[in-house]
Amino acid sequence: MKYLGYIFRNVRRNILRTILTIGSIGISLFLMMLMLSFLSINATVSETLKGSNRLISMSSQGFAVPLPIRFVEECKAIPGVEHASPLAWFGGSFKEEKMPFAQFGVDADTFSEILYDRKVPAEQLKAFQDDPAGCVIGYKMAAERGLKIGDPLPLKGAIYPIDLDLTVRAIYECKPTEDGRALYYHWKLMEELLKSKNQGRMAGNAGVVYLRLADDANEAEICRKIDAMSLNSQNPTRTMTEDAFVSQFAEMWGDMRTMITAVGFAVVVSLIFVSGNAMAMALRERTTEIAVLKAIGFTNGRILGMVLSECVIVAAIGGLVGALGCKLLFDVVDVSTYTAGGLPFFFVPWRTAMFGLGVSLVIGFVSGLFPAISAARLGVIQGLRKVV
Amino acid sequence: MSEDLAIQLNMVTKEYTRNSMRIPVLENLDLDVCRGEFLALMGPSGSGKTTLLNLIAGLDRATSGDVIVDGLNLSNLSEAQMTKWRADHIGFIFQMYNLIPVMTAQENVELPLLLQPVSRRERRRRATTALKIVGLEGREDHYPRQLSGGQEQRVAIARAIVTDPALIVADEPTGDLDRTSAQEILELLESLHRDLEKTIVMVTHDPQAAARASRLLQLDKGKLVGDEMQTAPIRPGSVVA
Repeated sequence: MKYLGYIFRNVRRNILRTILTIGSIGISLFLMMLMLSFLSINATVSETLKGSNRLISMSSQGFAVPLPIRFVEECKAIPGVEHASPLAWFGGSFKEEKMPFAQFGVDADTFSEILYDRKVPAEQLKAFQDDPAGCVIGYKMAAERGLKIGDPLPLKGAIYPIDLDLTVRAIYECKPTEDGRALYYHWKLMEELLKSKNQGRMAGNAGVVYLRLADDANEAEICRKIDAMSLNSQNPTRTMTEDAFVSQFAEMWGDMRTMITAVGFAVVVSLIFVSGNAMAMALRERTTEIAVLKAIGFTNGRILGMVLSECVIVAAIGGLVGALGCKLLFDVVDVSTYTAGGLPFFFVPWRTAMFGLGVSLVIGFVSGLFPAISAARLGVIQGLRKVV
Repeated sequence: MSEDLAIQLNMVTKEYTRNSMRIPVLENLDLDVCRGEFLALMGPSGSGKTTLLNLIAGLDRATSGDVIVDGLNLSNLSEAQMTKWRADHIGFIFQMYNLIPVMTAQENVELPLLLQPVSRRERRRRATTALKIVGLEGREDHYPRQLSGGQEQRVAIARAIVTDPALIVADEPTGDLDRTSAQEILELLESLHRDLEKTIVMVTHDPQAAARASRLLQLDKGKLVGDEMQTAPIRPGSVVA
């Protein structure tokens, strides 16, 4: 500890070089955090959904292929299933907005039972349930578009040849790791409109089926039962837990994950060279000083420790700027605002930020190793010869 | 070895090898230095003065022979033991002062004390006392760049004496100073020798500097060619109160 003052003075000795080194580490780690977060965000969200007791049953061909609505009732009949609801994507556009936000047709009566983590005040929930053209919207969506209870919310159909003239009846709150911009409306409304517009062939689709299980239900067993039930039908299903459903989005990255990992590794290696070169330059300028320290009694181990500490401190500051800075920035800045809803939420998970900080420490340690060993091995006479 | 001897060299030889060729620097040197002596080493360039100083200070090892300082044969010490020994027993003064530029005068003087088991308060107290001895009271917070060459060398001397070493080695301590500053530094060394009874070994090219020493050794081609006792002039106004 008593050498920390000297170490910090050395860090500040050539402030421009230190800032540039910190900057290169910080910026590179910032970008690395972005890449890693894109990869890990689904896994992190998936972790938070574990134990939610929810299943999602979708067509075995993928969630873009809708399941028939009768399937909801068939699922309800399975022991252990407490609630089931259609979850049908509408994909309409609001006013002049180009990017559709998430719009799902649900069973209004079971909405709050299944999506119990969307917190809706009781009177608002009742108002939604009582109004066939009512909808529930997320708090972020309400805030960004200035919507309040009772406001009209027209959606122009893009996939379906119908428009939904909805009224905001409820606003839900949710955790930051969940989508605060979704909209839920009565599935029956869409169904009736499709039928009234003679679009019967598009009616009767549940989208995917959202299920809430009893607390003591065996998730794997129920998934098997549901899929077995539809195995020989026209619509075979693939049923999974909600966290597994989210995880599969992470798997979609496929080879991109390997590529990003390889790029990240290359960045780390190049940072080691950058930081190592800066440290080697700094130490070359201090050859005599190190020799003097050794002459007055600083051991090789102390010199090694001080030089390594200096390297690790510089790299750790870069890590704090890049990794934790990235984390804090995206905790404050809502990316979805700038992506027109294309990215409903983005955050840097703590685990990823801590990993970034750890990487910076490794960069500092590895890059400092060679200069530190050179400094520790420096002969006193050799070092002093420059001036003696 | 007599208890009065601070340094004893027995048949010390130092050779360097370059391109498989042996280059002798010191040859079969015998030397006894008593405690409290102020020894000046003179000789032409390449005569082995600095090499001898390095051997006495434990910075280098003899090829053969024994270097005994304060009763301890340095040849028997490991690298780590030698480093620890230097920290406890030797004070260094260099020609170019070699202060740490990012540290204040006070911090530079405290530096050797970081290796001693003393509290921060005690470090501060001892460094302040050392700076007072060298006449730099009030300059504690100045950085080396804010001091003149003479003042920098005074800080270096304070750093050399702060651990109260038995032996101070000085390699051309006035070599980079103007005449006035050099005189001040020599007076300071003289007073350390006289008032604090420090054993000092000083390498110099300057006959006036050598005249301040109590004993003058002449080296040439690695051999002692002269050894005379001198009466160091006693000057009024000693810096040590």
